[in-house]
Amino acid sequence: MAELLASGGSMEMVRAAFDNGADAVYVGARGWSRRRAQYEMDDAAIVQAARYARSSGKILRVAFNTLPASSEVQLFLARADALYGAGVRDFILTDPGLMMALKHRHPDTILHASVGCTIINVQDALFYKEAGASQVVAECRMGKGTMRKIKEEAGVGLEVLVHATTCYTLLGRCTMSSYTKQGHLVDERGKDHFPGSPNRGGLCYRICLSDWDMVGPAGELEASGVELPNRAYFLADDIPDLIDLGVDTIKIQGREYSVPLVGRMVRFYRELIDACVKDRAGFRMEPWRERMAGIVADRDTERREKTAGLISEGEGNPPH
Amino acid sequence: MHGFELVVSAASPGELEGTDLSPYDAVCLGSPYCRRVEGNYAEALDLLPAVVSRLHAAGKRAYVATPAVPREADLPHVSRLVDAAAAAGADALEIHNMGVLRIVREKGRPVAAHMGAYANVYTHLAAGIMRDSGAVRVRPNAEVALEEMAILSREASVEAELLVHGKIPLGVTDRCFLLTEPEESDPKCPSACAEVHWLTTRQWVLKTVGKGILSGRDMCLLEHLPRLVRDGFRVFRVEGLYETAAYRSEIGAVYREALSRAFAGGSFAVEERWAAAVRRHAPRGLCNGYCFGTAGRKYIGTVLQDANPEV
Repeated sequence: MAELLASGGSMEMVRAAFDNGADAVYVGARGWSRRRAQYEMDDAAIVQAARYARSSGKILRVAFNTLPASSEVQLFLARADALYGAGVRDFILTDPGLMMALKHRHPDTILHASVGCTIINVQDALFYKEAGASQVVAECRMGKGTMRKIKEEAGVGLEVLVHATTCYTLLGRCTMSSYTKQGHLVDERGKDHFPGSPNRGGLCYRICLSDWDMVGPAGELEASGVELPNRAYFLADDIPDLIDLGVDTIKIQGREYSVPLVGRMVRFYRELIDACVKDRAGFRMEPWRERMAGIVADRDTERREKTAGLISEGEGNPPH
Repeated sequence: MHGFELVVSAASPGELEGTDLSPYDAVCLGSPYCRRVEGNYAEALDLLPAVVSRLHAAGKRAYVATPAVPREADLPHVSRLVDAAAAAGADALEIHNMGVLRIVREKGRPVAAHMGAYANVYTHLAAGIMRDSGAVRVRPNAEVALEEMAILSREASVEAELLVHGKIPLGVTDRCFLLTEPEESDPKCPSACAEVHWLTTRQWVLKTVGKGILSGRDMCLLEHLPRLVRDGFRVFRVEGLYETAAYRSEIGAVYREALSRAFAGGSFAVEERWAAAVRRHAPRGLCNGYCFGTAGRKYIGTVLQDANPEV
């Protein structure tokens, strides 16, 4: 059965996600994941979360899914070694070089290729498998035909985000935020958080969500209030098909949301998946849509507030 | 390689027409952004033999761009493109997608691979894997600062290409921003991306080319060339996609002369005519902040600082 993977932006969120039915939870190692430090965890908290997961027979995955500087590779290996020593075996990575290095160092680690790898075809999946990944995350707009092909031909697990926000660009292939503002924040371990670069440190100012004017070569206004489409998407309707396809992991994003909301989201998807698996032939989506609408509305409210703050911060204003 | 290599990109016969290629040592043919770009060398495979021969006859190397976002349905075309580039005698393929790199490797590496701007090369370990798959050159991600690039190149034993001038590739997608209908039926395709469209908000300016977001300002490393020489860079790119023939010709001429002088050693100063040319072709200003570890839109330097209207 497909695993339900949820977000853990704090120890409290990790507990809420597991307690509401997640099979696995991902957390970000502070300074190393695609969210700002506020939603990441230090090693002591990660070890505590991993113990909590193991105590209930579940999995904690640690994301080191930013793309560091070459000079930071040793920092990564030292930190991964420490977590490995504390019993962590599951990691989410983006850089194929880090994948190969970690797998070589600790062959029994389980590596997943992050959404930041932008895996869009079966050859991509095979590339990351060769780098050491046993599971890959499908790019957010991947069609079911490609998912099927990856399942049939690549010999790797497949993870699909069902509750997330797509970027206007391909996620992981965008530097609009750091083009407008990028700084350096080196933590006590020597890791630069590269604030402003989601690829390198996690914090994205979401400038794509500003109101843009499109102007022609001479400055003439062609359109105002243009949005670079960056939309939330919810594949709840597709979950039965994803289960039929043999998708290995169904993932819910949301480290930046409130703990109660994440708990509700996880509970919703847990119950939906279980109902679908229990009676696949008789499963109907309609009863779930109203409940889903409430979650989406609350999620949108929280996200809008965060986005407005990030754009303002991108302009040089202090964080909210 | 003797001295240095100056590379320009040109998507199509339309972009090559009128471009003075004499300043350049190599041309990267084709657009990685969209297969529907009119005359895209990466799509019109029958055009490759003649243009590659023409470039070789002129003593220049010919590289061929591959799609940056090849969905599964595009892979058969990518396979044909690799074969066609090899048959035409192209000197390298520019690759942005790891799946495409793997295809080239599985074909026995009939053409050398150059990793492009969207390949997300950030570490020497990743560059090493790409090298082992057939890459002989990498273009580190725009966010990678000069000093990091030098480490990356040295530790991975792979040549680094550096964007010295032009719009910085900031984002890529496979859905055209300039169309309102599906691209097959929208009458604005493929002409819309051949026109100039800026996106402006607050103090920021970007350029949209439909499936790509580029910097509004032009990367410019003109006044820093002696440092680049000292740091060991030997391959320099002028981004010529979606620019005019005059842009490619005049910017190329500036950098040919400036790089020659920088490589000769001795004193180096930005000539006023060079500065005039880069200012003339950069209506939204100049930038180079990424190279120095700060925001990409910033300009670090003293000579051309005044060409950035918001500094």
